[in-house]
Amino acid sequence: MSAIALKTLFLKEVRRFSKVWLQTVLSPLVTTSLYFLVFGVALGSRLREISGVPYIQFVVPGLVMMTMIRDSFLNTSSSLFQSKINGTITDILVAPIGAWEMLVAYVGAAMIRALIVGTLVYLVALSFTWFSLHHFGWTLFFAILVPATLALLGMIAALWAQKFDHLAIFPNFVLLPLAFLGGVFYSIDLLPEPWNTVSRLNPLLYMVNGLRYGFLGVADVSPVTSAAVVLMSFFVVLGAASALLRSGYNLRS
Amino acid sequence: MKPPVLRCRHVTKCYGTFTALKDLSLEVYEGEIFALLGPNGAGKSTLIHCITGLAKQTEGSIEVLGFDTMNDFRTTRRLVGLVPQEIGYDPFFTPLESLMIQMGLMGVEPNRARAEGLLETFALGDKRDAYTRTLSGGMKRRLLVAKALVHDPRLLFLDEPTSGVDVELRRELWSEVEDLRTAGTTIVLTTHYIEEAEKLADRIGILHKGELLLVESRESLLERHSGRSLEEIYLELIRKADGRHAA
Repeated sequence: MSAIALKTLFLKEVRRFSKVWLQTVLSPLVTTSLYFLVFGVALGSRLREISGVPYIQFVVPGLVMMTMIRDSFLNTSSSLFQSKINGTITDILVAPIGAWEMLVAYVGAAMIRALIVGTLVYLVALSFTWFSLHHFGWTLFFAILVPATLALLGMIAALWAQKFDHLAIFPNFVLLPLAFLGGVFYSIDLLPEPWNTVSRLNPLLYMVNGLRYGFLGVADVSPVTSAAVVLMSFFVVLGAASALLRSGYNLRS
Repeated sequence: MKPPVLRCRHVTKCYGTFTALKDLSLEVYEGEIFALLGPNGAGKSTLIHCITGLAKQTEGSIEVLGFDTMNDFRTTRRLVGLVPQEIGYDPFFTPLESLMIQMGLMGVEPNRARAEGLLETFALGDKRDAYTRTLSGGMKRRLLVAKALVHDPRLLFLDEPTSGVDVELRRELWSEVEDLRTAGTTIVLTTHYIEEAEKLADRIGILHKGELLLVESRESLLERHSGRSLEEIYLELIRKADGRHAA
């Protein structure tokens, strides 16, 4: 393994999103803050409490997680796909860099972006409603492992995609609906059957509820169950992404 | 004779049912300029891609300085530089940043002085902090050559580096290639400008439909066909091969 190559690729990816911070950091912060203002502040005053906590606080972990999911996915998917399209992927493919270094560098940079944006959204939320973290350990676990999982999924999407339309399928038609239906704005205990059971098939439900437990100590599912689902998702996408990269799928002919 | 820097043994590359390279064997020796000629689709780029890691051969083996390009890819890729045919550039970075990044990717500690030196060599010193997208086509092409040299490769591949390039820049590029050869770099180049190969190359290989029709030193090739240009020899060989294939 080349430590210099790994460090360089990681820093290159961090600098890439830092150079367009208006688009990669500020834009998601503004969008999520607007969600918070509408759902948390405006509607929250009428909804009062869910699961024993004020609604304005209930939506915070969901919005933080939704942002982290989106940003970690977009960071790897857009960067890797653009490299494929503009031909600069050649710079990496001819270098003494193996599949694992690529994975660590791309995923590491995406996690940094997700953690920065997630932290900023959290700080904005605190300016409206102050609360202390219920469990730092669980918070950290989900704040690290979920972006890593989505960053890996982003790499898979970028490897598979042949055109920009392919890439847009995931955030618009998969991640956004699953995030909205994953209990970002409501508890699934409010849903009648069969929707309550159907919701439990959504892996993003466990990601949102895992972070909610870490933040507030309340969740629709236990943190252990959420952690198990997230860990399983992580290892599935890790296996798939590393296998695709090792085989050179859609990269090396 | 010096030991081979590059040794390809019975290399075959298939894309589905199409065979791009057929049982190709080739050796390139230290310090020489080897010109690989052939019409479009002959397999020149495919061969270069197999050697540099952009493609995987279906059969056969490729060694660079005795290291296998599949099993010892980290070693061989440090030894090899590639100037690709297509101009690709990262819109996020300046030429100076691009060179520093490429050094790191090649496993060399990024060195600003070396990067600036390369930019000066390729007349890009005043553009070091410009956005790469604002460079002219010729400048982008020169940046590609500089990027391929950041790690001091022992073996440099130039895949049609002068296609779409004006006469002045073409001359500059070939002058730089001569300098590199003088400095000890082994060079494999592909070009559609046969007169360039005739002028520069020590040895010439002619590839057609995935098969090497000929590998010979330029001197002996021209001597054998006295009074004829390399272009005439090349065209005759290609026509003969086409006749064989048609038959």
